[in-house]
Amino acid sequence: MYDAVSTEQLDTPAVVLVNEGFGFDARSAASGKGMPGVRLVPETVPCECTVPERIVSGVRAAMDDVVAGLTRPLTAEERSPAPREPDGAGRIAFKGHLAEVQQFCYRRGWTDGLPVNPPTEEAVREMLTGTDLPAGHLVGKMVPRMGKVTVEKIAINAVMAGALPTSMPLLIAAVEALLDPQAAFGTWQVSTGSWAPFWVVNGPIREQLRINSGSGALSPGDIANATIGRAIGLMVKNLGGARKGMEDMGVLGNPAKYTMVIAENEEANPDGWEPLHVRQGFQRDESCLTVSFPNSYLQIWPYGSDDKGIIRALSSNMVPRWRQLTLLLPPGHAQTLADAGWTKSDIATYLYEYARVPAYRSPDFWGVPGVVRMRPPLNAEDPVPLLRSPDSLRIVVVGGAGVFMGLAYGASQWLTRRVQLPGNWESVVRKYRNFVPNHVSY
Amino acid sequence: MGGIYEVLSPWAEVDPVPLRGISPRLSDLSGKRIGLFNNNKLAAAPILDAVETELRSRFDGLTVARFGRRAHENVAQTEDGPRYEQWVKEVDAVVLAVGD
Repeated sequence: MYDAVSTEQLDTPAVVLVNEGFGFDARSAASGKGMPGVRLVPETVPCECTVPERIVSGVRAAMDDVVAGLTRPLTAEERSPAPREPDGAGRIAFKGHLAEVQQFCYRRGWTDGLPVNPPTEEAVREMLTGTDLPAGHLVGKMVPRMGKVTVEKIAINAVMAGALPTSMPLLIAAVEALLDPQAAFGTWQVSTGSWAPFWVVNGPIREQLRINSGSGALSPGDIANATIGRAIGLMVKNLGGARKGMEDMGVLGNPAKYTMVIAENEEANPDGWEPLHVRQGFQRDESCLTVSFPNSYLQIWPYGSDDKGIIRALSSNMVPRWRQLTLLLPPGHAQTLADAGWTKSDIATYLYEYARVPAYRSPDFWGVPGVVRMRPPLNAEDPVPLLRSPDSLRIVVVGGAGVFMGLAYGASQWLTRRVQLPGNWESVVRKYRNFVPNHVSY
Repeated sequence: MGGIYEVLSPWAEVDPVPLRGISPRLSDLSGKRIGLFNNNKLAAAPILDAVETELRSRFDGLTVARFGRRAHENVAQTEDGPRYEQWVKEVDAVVLAVGD
């Protein structure tokens, strides 16, 4: 839709053929750019259709409207749109009992479906002890709504998510990462592919926040892993305005949009293996977070407990088409591979060279843009690589005892940000450091 | 029931966006040069092929000019922005296919 707005801004009439299921999303995008009157023509061509007959019939059915969209005189509203009613709620949104607050927030569409902590003035003030930036500091504007992301708004959403004040530096860095054009957040977050932000935390802050890098790091139960991702999800919705089925057009959705946050077990990286943030160009003692946008997560079993069994399982279970792969390697496998002489770089190079499938399993063979950017293979049995390059793979050492490995498939890049800590950091960490579950034995 | 909570709004404020109307329409498409904009999604090109066929069959002297976006981003914000702007100036109207 932004392209249509750009076209109209050049004083040229435009009409947009859009699948009938995307009308609301398209209208939001145009309105967000200040041009609510852009003419849309809903069509019934199935999404990303490859069947010529369906395309021709769908377009033919819409053509009268296309022609009308280019020739029908403008209405007064199209010529000069009336100002919209403000959709803000004011700084104080609501006053009531806990259950009423929950109902209010849910009905406003401000939650992820789970109950939220009431973001009272007092709770937000405490959350703000996790940063020395002023509450009104503008970190940026988040697409698609271009909502103003102030430090206070971050804190409000963090309170709702149940995060601790020690999360604030990570949350601010996360917003900075998402607003970096290189992250292409505006594309991934609302795409039909249901890509979800996957956050990997490195450096000293992992331990200070007790972000799980061990057993079940991706499972519920750790307040940092659970609430940091949740807070980001709420911000995407409440600050960016990306709402499921309205602007976020993920076909199936993704449970990782609740949260997908881990720390790397840097200490389990064998000698010579660099943690993710060092691979990304940062110093080992810097606290960093890295975001990518996978939409799938596959756990696989090795074909043997030696290095060959691990590598064979990886090369045999990689999936054609996706362009980016984060390998989650448990410490035991990392040590096994290192003992046999493998580095992270060796693994990436090996998988690029030898993890291949017959061409007929590649989208390129069928004329569908896919993983391999080259002339489409002519012979169905020719082997084609599954990775675009060795640089399309990152390895993160994480997880507990056991042999399962994880493959997180995406199509984006890895973007890493350094986390800026406030001057009072040590005291804030000290205050919340021992906020841990004490499980009983049975 | 417990206490009363006064809660702050998590919903972002936005700067007012200046509203703008759309461009005047054409009176007729005959003899006009229509831009067909491909947003780089899978179905966009064949949809535009069908649009071209329909337009040519309906309007005498109508010609078309194609433009393809190379990334999933607003083309005006990419390095193709100047080329796109020039292309728009050379057509009378544009049909965009989203292709989703």
